[in-house]
Amino acid sequence: MRQFFGTNQNGDLKEAVRGLQNPQMIMLISNQGQFEGHVKKLEELFPKVPSIGCIGMGYSSRMAERGVSVIAFQGVSAVANVLEQASLVPVKYIGRLKQDVEAVNGSQKDTICIDFCSGNDACVLTTIHSVLKHRNISLVGGTGDAGMVSANGQIYQDAVAYALVRNPNGKVKAYKENIYRQMGNYRFIASKTDKEKYILGELNGRSARQVYQEILQVSEQQILTQTFKNPFGKLSGNDICIVSIKEVNGNALACFRQVNDSDVLVMLELDDFRKVVKRTIRQIKEDFSRVSAVFSVNCLFRYKLFCENHYMQEYLGEMGTLGNHAGFVGYGEHYNNQFVNQSMTCVVFE
Amino acid sequence: MADKKKAWHRLRDKKKTEKDLSPVLHVTGSLKEYRQELVSKEVESLRELGRVSSSFGSVFQETQDFQERLQDFEQTFSGIDQVSGQFVQVKEEIAQSVGQVQDRVGDLKDSSLEVESHFGEMRATFDDFQAAVKEIKSCTGKIISIAEQTNILALNASIEAAKAGEQGKGFAVVAVEVKRLSDQIKTLVGEVNRSISDVEHGTERLSDSIGNSQEALGQSIGKVNETYEMFDKITEAAEGASTVQAGISSVIGESRAELQELCAFFDRSREQYQKVVGHISRASALGTTKSAMFEDIDNMLSQILPLIQE
Repeated sequence: MRQFFGTNQNGDLKEAVRGLQNPQMIMLISNQGQFEGHVKKLEELFPKVPSIGCIGMGYSSRMAERGVSVIAFQGVSAVANVLEQASLVPVKYIGRLKQDVEAVNGSQKDTICIDFCSGNDACVLTTIHSVLKHRNISLVGGTGDAGMVSANGQIYQDAVAYALVRNPNGKVKAYKENIYRQMGNYRFIASKTDKEKYILGELNGRSARQVYQEILQVSEQQILTQTFKNPFGKLSGNDICIVSIKEVNGNALACFRQVNDSDVLVMLELDDFRKVVKRTIRQIKEDFSRVSAVFSVNCLFRYKLFCENHYMQEYLGEMGTLGNHAGFVGYGEHYNNQFVNQSMTCVVFE
Repeated sequence: MADKKKAWHRLRDKKKTEKDLSPVLHVTGSLKEYRQELVSKEVESLRELGRVSSSFGSVFQETQDFQERLQDFEQTFSGIDQVSGQFVQVKEEIAQSVGQVQDRVGDLKDSSLEVESHFGEMRATFDDFQAAVKEIKSCTGKIISIAEQTNILALNASIEAAKAGEQGKGFAVVAVEVKRLSDQIKTLVGEVNRSISDVEHGTERLSDSIGNSQEALGQSIGKVNETYEMFDKITEAAEGASTVQAGISSVIGESRAELQELCAFFDRSREQYQKVVGHISRASALGTTKSAMFEDIDNMLSQILPLIQE
């Protein structure tokens, strides 16, 4: 399979897709002002080609902060569709996903589900995973901006656009990268949570804000930016899902994803992200003798952290050593049934 | 009018649907409550597991600390063994020193005996000397007696010479000379007697000294013998220390063996502890996966009501 990446800073879609021929699946990363136009134009340029789109920043060997980016796959079989009413009843449209899974007829080894979501990510992922799990199909995706996504030339508010992509000539594998490590032996059980508002009330029976401040010795104001260094991690078996802290809410903390009562949380601290990235690349190279393409979703907070450390370009260069690498910067990342923050998720095609 | 009728029908249908579906709503409501209870119990379980883990951690740490103390014991035993081993060397040094001293004392004893023997000879010689002095005194007494008899003879000769007149004058001179000589002899013998008296006094004192020295030497030899016997006892006692050291080594050996048993017991216990800690970790990890399932259940349940309402 082959991956195409095209971009245009002025938002000229035609220029962005110059050189793209016979794609089997297209992903559009646009901007709020031109999204509608781009969706329509894309459908005109490539009618009936399965496509999904969102508002965000694309990248390949360089960042494309403005304008439009297009990522396309060739040499695959794909379908794209949408589950609407994502914030309320995405399950209402589960029949579409079931049908598409049957149509693609893929499995864990060769098929990936890529999704662009407008919100209510956890519920959406639970719903999608309830179908994908029967074939062990992995999922990689993220949340775009402005609560809008597109699928097959249509724009949807409050929906999740997905594409099922099967690689007929090789395997696929999904990865998640975490540039934070566990800090000390802190272990908390969450309680007094509000899943609607993403509120974390108490940790081990004490005010979450107080506990956070005490451990890190920070003021209430500093909490706002402390998440770059010390987010929470939610334990799930041997895995850690990062939970970013948004702001203080009285004695509680508001997060960027829901926390539930009985969730086991740990304190995280920034690891040596350069080493972590190299480790991920090494792992991919061990798993794949030959890489056709890598599609990734990087969290906005990671993008900001890397830029502050003048590492973003180097990061894209490192990922480029795997082969053809492209992706977009998201507001929340999806990895199978996990909605995570401050992470990178990617799919590698052989 | 038709629109109003349609709206009324829709409302009526909605109410009917709600009534028909009320058992379903009841079930979903109950499911939510059960889920909530499950979550509360899960929170408690996780907390308990945390406490178990923490307590176990403390026990584990105490066990490790204790094992380290036992290992310190092992070192202490080694130290004791080493020190008690030095007993042997000390005993040998004592035996060697005692041997050397005994040799010296033996030499001293021999020397003392020799001196005693010399004193004996001195005494014998002294006795002979005293006998000789007595003899001399006896001789001088006889000489005095002879000198006095000579004096009387000389006097008698002077008287006879006087009777002889002129023909006796020469004889009177000889008689006077003989008297003078015997007077000189008496004077000399007096001096000899005085010297002999001095010698007698000196020899008496010397005799006393020799007697005292002999006595002292006799006591000294007695003490040397006692000392010799004492060193034998010291050597015997040093041998006894060897026996004690052997006893200490044996006890230390037994204690070491017991200590090794204890350490092996703690090693086995630690293995078991680590298994338990592993189980606790796995139980904890399993517990964390449950919270993801609760979230999934919640996400699905939360869609039922809106679906039904639609």
